[in-house]
Amino acid sequence: MNQPNRIDSWLLQDDEKPLTITEDPKIPNAATILLRKQDHTLGNMIRAQLLLDPTVLFAGYKVPHPLENDIIIKIQTDERSNPADALKRACHLLIRQTVQIKSQFMEQAKNIEMGMGPDQSLATAQTNGYDPYADSSRQGNTIVGGQFRDTNAGGADVYDF
Amino acid sequence: MPRSLDDTRRHVQVLPERIGAVAGSEFPGHYPGEDHSWNLQKFKENLITSVQRLTPSTIEFDLVGVDASIANALRRVMIAEVPTVAIEEIYVWNNTSIMQDEVLCHRVGLVPLKIDPRSLKYRPSPHSAPHETDTIVFDLSVRCDRRPGVDKSEKDPKKLYYDSNVYTGMMKWSPSGDQSRKYKGKEPKPVDRDILLCKLRPGQQIDLHCFARKGVGMDHAKFSPVATASYRLLPHIILREPIPIEHQQKFQKCFPEGVIVIENDQVVVKNPRKDTVSREVLRHPEFADKVSLNRIRDHFIFNVESTGQYNPEELVPEAIKILLTKISAVEEGLDKLFATEGQVA
Repeated sequence: MNQPNRIDSWLLQDDEKPLTITEDPKIPNAATILLRKQDHTLGNMIRAQLLLDPTVLFAGYKVPHPLENDIIIKIQTDERSNPADALKRACHLLIRQTVQIKSQFMEQAKNIEMGMGPDQSLATAQTNGYDPYADSSRQGNTIVGGQFRDTNAGGADVYDF
Repeated sequence: MPRSLDDTRRHVQVLPERIGAVAGSEFPGHYPGEDHSWNLQKFKENLITSVQRLTPSTIEFDLVGVDASIANALRRVMIAEVPTVAIEEIYVWNNTSIMQDEVLCHRVGLVPLKIDPRSLKYRPSPHSAPHETDTIVFDLSVRCDRRPGVDKSEKDPKKLYYDSNVYTGMMKWSPSGDQSRKYKGKEPKPVDRDILLCKLRPGQQIDLHCFARKGVGMDHAKFSPVATASYRLLPHIILREPIPIEHQQKFQKCFPEGVIVIENDQVVVKNPRKDTVSREVLRHPEFADKVSLNRIRDHFIFNVESTGQYNPEELVPEAIKILLTKISAVEEGLDKLFATEGQVA
């Protein structure tokens, strides 16, 4: 059978490098980066993070062929940085973001398992209780015809327990 | 403080014929004099995760203040990259049922198994011999027989025969090596014991020897730990003008129940989370310029339904752990690349 090995679609071989960088011969500070065994999950995330970097002039990614499990990212930066540094920075920032999400989520889940309400920790520690429809920054922008939901009635509906 | 929902830069407009402002505009250099490069302090202030509902099999949570690419990566990882254990190889010793071997094996392969995937290793290669650290073995051996002394007029197969239905609960785990000690108290078994696998009639039998292995959803959907993992953006309804009293009932009916309430002859947006954003309200000329429908671009309402291998609240941390290893792999790859380049130069 000519069926490709199923594990090969997502696991790197021992001798395979996770990525290679090819610098653009004509444009300064531009490079094409090939990431092996990655897909849109990482490609889109890295691209979006690169676009938030002020030194990045261009960032884009594509999946060159749907049957091959590689992606390429093209990055051009200005003279303050270079593509490899920008990529490194983007990865670093993404790690910090996901770690942040994880710790906040686990805190929440723990509270719920212990039988507390959903927002206990948040309410005191960080955000004064998150309720999207009772938001205090609404003064001065009163909408005739329908005031939004009032602050006190908030929690009960949103937190469907 | 998290940002206000009325900040129009956060809005994705839902217009009668199209969706407006899909992509965000807050990039470095887009607004003169404003700094929109990423910084941790700002991110921390805006990030909110809040679990809205937790049942034994599902979780609904909000993720606010992240880019769509991160929310989407989380969803994709939950579907395709969080490992689970499923039956991968089956030896059919005997199958005289009307179901063909391959069809029966396919069905058995799809059964979700209650085995902690963290307790197993991946199989090193598809040709390596099974080992107690990477394989769990189940046996399914059923034979249907006629029940003696049943009334001739009886039509119910369950009363007429023994074992006329083959359920997942009949799969027996056969521990090998150290496994019986390792899985003490949490014996591997199918998540549900009442999934019908096949039907038998007297004299027919099934005898299978099944090998369960660890795998990920991008290889085969049977390895996916979630039944559904999806997100939607939080709807946000803005009333631009008061709705005249004679139209209030009609206005309320344009939305699902509970979204709009009438209080003191005034229309109030009560719970936009329940809205399906059907745009029905925009079809009526009398409401067209009185209301605007929006969604919040960075407020994701996740809905995750577990198939039983993981508790629903474990899925997100597990997915993030995998996401982290993916990003770190790229970062380490970069470091290695520079290290070797340094040696050459």
